[in-house]
This record gives sequence, structure tokens and C-alpha cells, in this order.
Amino acid sequence: MALLRLVLPLLLLAALWEGAVALLQISPFYLPPLRQVLGAIWALGPAYAQAFMVTLGEAVAGFVVGGLVGVVSATAFHHQRWLRDMLFPLFVASQTVPVIAFGAIVVLWFGNTLLAKAAIAFYLTFFPVTVNALAGFEAVDPRQVALLRSFGASRRDIWWKLLLPSALPRIFTALRLSAGLALAGAIVGEWFGASIGVGAMLLAALFNEQVVAMWAAILTAAAVGGAIFGVVALVEARLVFWRDEL
Amino acid sequence: MTDAADQLDQLLTVGEAPAARAKLQLNGVSRRFGAVQALAKVDLGIAEGEFVTLIGPSGCGKSTLFNIVAGLLEADTGGEVLLDGAATSLLGKVAFMPQRDLLLPWRNVLDNAILAAEVEGRPKRAARETARAMAADFGLKGFEDHYPQQLSGGMRQRVALMRTFMFDRDLMLLDEPFGALDALTRAMMQRWLLDIWSRYRRTILFITHDIDEAIFLGDRVVVMSARPGSIKLERRVELPRPRDPALLTTPAFNAIKRELLDAVEEESMKTFAAGAA
Amino acid sequence: MMQRRTLLATGAALLAAPRIGTAQALTKATLRLKWLPQTQFAGFYLALERGYYREAGLDLTINPGGPNLLTENLVASGGEQFGVSGGTDSVFSAREKGLPIVCVGVTHQVTPFVFAAKADGAVKTLEDMRGRKATAWFTGAHLVLYGMLASRGIAKEAVNISPQQVSVTPFVNGEVDVVAATWYNELNVLKARLGGVDKLKLFVAEDYGITVPRDTVIANEAFATANPGAVQAFLRASIRGWKAAAATPVAGVEAVMKIAPTIDRAHQEAMLPECLRLMKAGAAAQQGLFAIDPVAVKKAHDFFVAQKVLAAPIDLAAAYQGKYLEAIPLAERMA
Repeated sequence: MALLRLVLPLLLLAALWEGAVALLQISPFYLPPLRQVLGAIWALGPAYAQAFMVTLGEAVAGFVVGGLVGVVSATAFHHQRWLRDMLFPLFVASQTVPVIAFGAIVVLWFGNTLLAKAAIAFYLTFFPVTVNALAGFEAVDPRQVALLRSFGASRRDIWWKLLLPSALPRIFTALRLSAGLALAGAIVGEWFGASIGVGAMLLAALFNEQVVAMWAAILTAAAVGGAIFGVVALVEARLVFWRDEL
Repeated sequence: MTDAADQLDQLLTVGEAPAARAKLQLNGVSRRFGAVQALAKVDLGIAEGEFVTLIGPSGCGKSTLFNIVAGLLEADTGGEVLLDGAATSLLGKVAFMPQRDLLLPWRNVLDNAILAAEVEGRPKRAARETARAMAADFGLKGFEDHYPQQLSGGMRQRVALMRTFMFDRDLMLLDEPFGALDALTRAMMQRWLLDIWSRYRRTILFITHDIDEAIFLGDRVVVMSARPGSIKLERRVELPRPRDPALLTTPAFNAIKRELLDAVEEESMKTFAAGAA
Repeated sequence: MMQRRTLLATGAALLAAPRIGTAQALTKATLRLKWLPQTQFAGFYLALERGYYREAGLDLTINPGGPNLLTENLVASGGEQFGVSGGTDSVFSAREKGLPIVCVGVTHQVTPFVFAAKADGAVKTLEDMRGRKATAWFTGAHLVLYGMLASRGIAKEAVNISPQQVSVTPFVNGEVDVVAATWYNELNVLKARLGGVDKLKLFVAEDYGITVPRDTVIANEAFATANPGAVQAFLRASIRGWKAAAATPVAGVEAVMKIAPTIDRAHQEAMLPECLRLMKAGAAAQQGLFAIDPVAVKKAHDFFVAQKVLAAPIDLAAAYQGKYLEAIPLAERMA
């Protein structure tokens, strides 16, 4: 049933794609038939699989570190007002640097490495998580905190048993948003001289005017994004099962 | 039925305290928030095993008093709060139950009940075993694995009470635990609480707005004055235990109620007048 | 058999680059290309694939370029040691800005791009460009067009010149009259889309007395000074790679396709011989691959000074250093 719910929209989209191209006689320059795009992926399966894995790895690395840094920063900001007053404006300012400019700097720092792409994915990920985790911590009922304190709970206990679980719904909202951002970050990172990855493929197809290869790269990117999003949603369903019932 | 109580008692480290000694003793406790004097020289003693109920007009500083006894607030210098005769930090030494059940939605009944025990560092498994054994006493048998959002208000309150009982402390502070329940459920919960109390033998300080409830439950009813809060009246309730609902219509009950109502009304008028001025 | 060959190769490498050390102590280095992987760089990829750099004592990584990168900056920063940069023009401007890079070789000996008009269109001569629409890459190609126009006494304002995007489609569709096209890339696309070279009228810079050698091989200045042997080893192995690509173009194409499997093979196959032609042209005919022709460099330099792109002449001897190349026997360098 869940599988059907997942597959059905995809099939519908595929049918719409094929149908529109055939019926409206769309020039393949604008939108090639889906089967041609899938054929291109099939023909170079290992290459697309490798690109998928490489970009997934970069995005996930940045995403995981970004998520952790976000939660840790939010924890620090929640407990230390002065730290928040001092650092939060810097966090905000950091986000005003266009990602392309940031990418250029990161490539100068880290060269053509996984770290460079992960750094950009991280850059786009940590901020939404920080903001949402902080909002989650702040929204905790102070009476809950008082109750735990009356039990003699340490700060650490309160964080693990109350603050973190309470903030999880908001953290996951940010993580779902960040899944797409991390992918975008990894792809942008690959636009600065990477040899492999979905972004590198996208760029090569773009500049060689290979429309089919471009759509194949786009589909692969969507698969990477879908994979990250799917895992986040699965973990969320397991950890925040109680959310809908609030 | 009493197995669970015994099991808990084994974990208790209650010494053989002299019967007359106060479990909790407040001497001249005051508290000021900026310009507002919330409490003014509260003197109150609660004996070991005693069930004391506390009533007073809204805003009389009951919550402030509670937070001080729970160790969540410091009293202003000058007064003293003694637990077993010693002036120590009360945080973690008093079983505190706030008005709202404050159950955690991601924990099931058992895991909510063992929250305090867990914080104390008791192994989860052992704590769960104890909770499982206690579930029947708290009317939660068969609901051990349910989540709070699947329970009725009365059941949620019982889970919260169980959590408070599992936090093995001689002194329990209950802040209007039945305030949000309908009259029928509330009456059942009162009788049930008395039953539990008689078996688990704890010292209880119980806040309520409801004079009937205060008399029905308490060994002694304490009336607080309007702000700044202090003790206006203490009235011993010499009604036989175990208490029966039929008591509520007896002349003896009504006599006490009359006396308390006069005191509470007088204080409420003061609050009202202060508000109108 | 295999072992003996490896031994021999190692021995050869030892003899060739005694200062770099043995196969056990390779010098780590990177080469940053000027564009995405394509057979424009086939010789470098083939040399890497066949282990020529390793045999020369280098542990080399090839990093592609792209639209957001300037090879000169990356090499100047020291993060990368070698680069295939824009051309003599970008070396001039980098040196003018004080970037610590040196040119150690030149890949394309003559101007690698032309300006094309449609054979049946309005533009038959340079004179015809007046009032017409032309596009050129504003990374240097536009200056060549200015120079060509100037050589015939046409003011650059007389022609409507705008920056050229990646696609040549506007030209094919007739929205633009004149377009810049590299011999090895866009020109092949134009031939394919218009149906042959005879459908095009080409304007070649050299016919107007202008030569801008491009695809310059640059090295980080400090690195080159400290490791002359590594620079020499890099050039030697690159020459081997390009000679191998010239001998077996299929292998050259394959080496690139392995890196970028989704690009169009036929297009890459057409690109390689054109690149090789540009590499063997001019001074390379006598002095071998990567030759730095001081005359051509000086000519290009003076042209850019005349165009006021360079505010003042730069020290060409410091910027263009042929000594690394000259340390390699000429016979080895000849394609």
C-alpha cells in the first residue's frame, strides 16, 4: 500500500511526460521522450550509478554534519544566552553569502575533494536545523522542565529526555527541507571542477548541449534527493510517530 | 494488590523516625518577586505520614509555596525550610506532581511512569518491572503500552500519579491533580487516592480549590490568606478513615466546611477588593 | 615479463628525472584544466591512464575546469601546481595582476578559434560586418575580433558585438550574423548543424596578422622554482601522452570517455585531430610540442598592449620560461 502510494505518482508523471511529448509534439531539444532519457541511463548504467553514489555521499556527509552542528549550536544557544547573542548574528550573516561565491572559496580551500562538496552541502544545511532546533527547544513547556528538575534531573538528562525529543518534530521539518538543500550544495560543489558526480554530468551535458544527457542527469539528481528525503522521512516516522496525535 | 507497595517499600530507606517529628517544617518562609510580596512568613509543619490539604483564594501564592517546597524556587533569606529537620536543597528530595499531567507523548504508560526513576539512575528494566506490578493498583492494567494521547483524562492523571509514587520520596506534593477532571471521575479518583495512600504510606501536601475535596482527603486542612500568602487557619479533620462518600452529607462534615468556607470567603473578598481598587 | 618492463620503466624514469626520486617517493601534484573533460585534454588523460606521470615521478591528479573556475587563480593560490590556462592573453593579465604563475609551455600554437558567418549570408568580408550582429567570448576572443577589424580600419563600434553564450544556436537560427568558434569544438557543431564547412565563411585571425596562442601550460611560480625537476617531468610525461594520443586517437578518446562517460563520443572523436593540428602548428613544427614561441608571444603581447588591455608591457622573460621544456631533448618533444 505504501509502495503503491509511492510508485503511483511516479508512474503518473512518467505517463504524463511521455504523453505530452508525443501528443504536443514537443521538440526533443526542449523535452526528449522519457524512454530516450531512461535509455541513456540504462546504456551507461555503471556511470550513472557511480555519479549517484558520489553525489549521495557528498550530500549525506554535509547533511549529517550540518544536522549535528545545527542541533549542537541550538543547544548551546538555548543554554547560553550570551553565546546566542554573540554567534547567532554571524550564523545569519553567513547565509547571506551566495552559495556560488561560497563554492569558489571552498574550492580554493579544499580543492577538488569530497570535503569541498560536503562543505557546501553543510553550509546550506546547518542553518535551517539550528533555527528549527532552537525554536523547538524554546517551545518546551517550562513546567515540564520544572518537573524533571524536581526529580533531580541534570541538564544532560533534561536535554536527552525532554528537550531533544520535544524538538524532534521541528528538527525533522528542517531536515526534510535540508535534504534538498544538501543535494543542491553537493551539485553546486561539483560545478567547481569535479570529475564525477551528478553535478559534473549536468554541467558537461549543459555545455555540450546534450539534452538527453541533461535530463538523465536531472533524473539522477532527483533520485539522489529522493533517496535522502526517503531515509529522513522513514527515520522521522519511527522517531516522531507521536507527532500527528498531538 | 499490596505486592507492589511492598516492592516499593523495600527500596525505601526510611529510618525509624520519632512519630512526633515533622517531615516538613516551614518557619517564616517569605518570597518576594520584585515589588510583589507573594509569601509572607509562612509557618507550617507536616508530620510523617500526614495528609495535609491546602486551600486558598486564587493568587495567594500557593504555587510559589509549592515551588519552594519542591526545591524549584529559593525562599527569601530569613525563613527556613526543613526536611526531616535539616535545611538542605530540596531538589530531587520531594515527589512533585504539577496540575497538568505533563506526560511525554513519545513515552508509553510504563515509560512515563518510570521517568523519575530513570532520572535517578535506576536500571530501566527493573523500573519497568516495578511499574508493571504497580499498574493494577493505579487502574492501568492492560494499558501499560498505550501512549498518553490514547488515554482518558482520568487515566493520564493516574499515570502522572504513578510516576510521582515511583519517585520514592516520603514527601509528596500534589498540585490540584484532579482540577481538570469532571466531577464523577474526580470523586472516584479521590477515593482511589486515599486507598493508594493508605497502602503506600506517604506524607502528602495536596493543593486544591475544592473545599469538599480538601476535607474529604485531609487529616488537616490549611487555609492560606490572600496575597501576601500566609497561613490563615489550620483545621484538623477528625473524620474516621477509611472515608466513605456518605461522609460528604454528614453534619460533622458540614460543620467543618462552614468554618472553612467563612475563612476562604473572607480572603477571597480581600483579593476581589484589591482587584477592584 | 611484466616485471621486467616495469623495472625498465622505473629505470628510465630514474635516469630521466634523477632529482624527483624513485617510484616510492612520488611528488604529489595536480593539474587543473581550463574546461570540462573533453579530448582537448586527451593527451593529459592518456598520460595519466598509462602511468606516464607516475613513471616520471609524479603522483598527478587531473581536476577539470568549468564555467566557475579560473585556472590561473587556483594555480596561483598554490592549491594546484599545474594548469592548462586560458592562453597567452590570460597569462599576461595574471602576471599583470601579480599572480605568481609562470607559463612553461603552450599547447595551441595558433589562435584556436575563428569567426564564422553563413556562406549564403550577408557577411562575406570583414567590411560586411558593419552594422551586423556578432558574438564573441568576452574572455579574450572579442579582443581578437577588435584587432581584426582594426587591421582593416573598421572601428569596433561599427559592429554590434555582444558576449557569446555557450550555445551556437542563436547563430544557427540566424539571430546572429557572426559567431566565434573554436576549430575543435563549436566549428564541428556548426558543420554538423549546417551541413558542411562549405556552408560557412571563416575569418581566421592569422590572415589579419594576429596570433594568440592559447591553452597555455602554467605552473605555480614558487613550486616551479623549488621543483624544476617536477615541472620537467610533468612536461615530459604530458608530451608522451599527447604523442600516444596522436599515434592512437582511439585510445585518447577512450581515456577521456572513461572520465566523462556521458559526453558524445562522435563529437570527441572529431575534436581530437583538430586539437592535434593546433598543437603541431606554428613553432611546434620545428621545436616540438608545447614550444613557447617568443616571437608569437611577443606579437600577442604587443597586440594586447595596443588594444590597451594591458596597461603597460610585462616582463615576458619572467612570465614565459622555456627552460623546463628545453631541458628535454628536442627529439623527444617532436610529435
